[in-house]
Amino acid sequence: MRIAEQERDHVLLRRAAKGDEEAFTLLYRRHQAAMYRFALRMTGNSWAAEEIVQDVFVTLMRDPKKYDVTRGALGAFLYGVARNRVMKHLERLPREIPLEERNEDGTGSGIVLQEASTPAMWVEKRERMQQVRAAVLELPAEFREAVVLCELEEMSYEEAAQMAGCPIGTIRSRLHRGRALLMAKLEMFRDVPRRASAAR
Amino acid sequence: MNCEEFEAMGLDAERDATLSEAERAAAREHASRCSRCAALQDSWQAGRVELRAFAEDTVMAQAPARVEMRLRQEFRTQHVTLKVRRTAIAAAWGLAAAAMLVGAVSWRNWRHGQQEGTTNHLNSVPAADSSLKNSSVAGANHETPGEVPKGMQQSGSAGTASSETLVADNELSGFTFLPGAFAADTDDAAILRVRMQRGALSALGLAVNEERASEWIQVDLLVDDDGLPQAVRLPQ
Repeated sequence: MRIAEQERDHVLLRRAAKGDEEAFTLLYRRHQAAMYRFALRMTGNSWAAEEIVQDVFVTLMRDPKKYDVTRGALGAFLYGVARNRVMKHLERLPREIPLEERNEDGTGSGIVLQEASTPAMWVEKRERMQQVRAAVLELPAEFREAVVLCELEEMSYEEAAQMAGCPIGTIRSRLHRGRALLMAKLEMFRDVPRRASAAR
Repeated sequence: MNCEEFEAMGLDAERDATLSEAERAAAREHASRCSRCAALQDSWQAGRVELRAFAEDTVMAQAPARVEMRLRQEFRTQHVTLKVRRTAIAAAWGLAAAAMLVGAVSWRNWRHGQQEGTTNHLNSVPAADSSLKNSSVAGANHETPGEVPKGMQQSGSAGTASSETLVADNELSGFTFLPGAFAADTDDAAILRVRMQRGALSALGLAVNEERASEWIQVDLLVDDDGLPQAVRLPQ
């Protein structure tokens, strides 16, 4: 049985609950990338992100009635579940920052540097990207969440507040403090090479 | 708008949909007047560019295919288990229902049988009455306690009598009238079959062998409507 591409999530979920594997797979393919990106940006760890995505969909599979169609889109519900899993993960490993992320094909953490014309520039940009990544991951979880949702996922404040389950004012304040910390860290990373070159 | 407000709201005023147009204009105006806040905004814009690059770096990130495989496997396992469980539950309910049905039918049959037995019993009393009237009661009078089978010996007590009462066959042949009983009094009599110790016969005025007084025997009693036995018979 072919399922129309535009079929709505809750219809697919109802079918999946009745044992339609194709419907479940379609749901997974629709939402997995967003969940994975969010988890990856929040944890900075592809293994953790993978587990979180799996957990999210296992939850959906085992208890589809948890999702109430009248309370919002399935994507928002899945974000909520993913957020809880991420927070649990961060609580367990409060200071874990992996040294290096590697893709399945052995390359770096998926950094695309097409504009880098020389190896030196490529290395420089790659380093810079690692610094940004480290700066984001060093933010406290709540500020990081606000930055990830509003700056990386490009959600509006309202959407971010809905995802985080807090008022818009809280999101704005977390974002403000997150930005301040982030700018300080990025400035620090910028200054280190300058000082190093000045010392030479 | 002052510097503090600008830091809280003005840095991202253009994106923040919750701000009014007047607040955005105030933020722009403050940035144009305050060099510190303007520098802060520039710094944040530079930071945003880097964040954007980082976001683009991971924008194509997807969960590996193995996650989908694992989930599909889990899905199959779960739904097969569910089916098996549902089948087992349905089978259990079916069995329970069948057992209930069998029990109900058995109980109904048993009740029916009991009712029939009672009806037969009630029917048998008038039959005994009529047979008493019609049959040769007098003939039975010829039998004496001496006709008690040879194996039966006399003695024992009446206190050990009967643990069982049955409706005996309604023929009066073979009855031995007890002392003081008259054949004419048997119009409303009923025949009861009882089990008693042989010694209890002595209470009815019959001779009993004391050595075998404790033996259990079956006895048909011809009982009058006043409840007193009128005659006794030892069935085969």
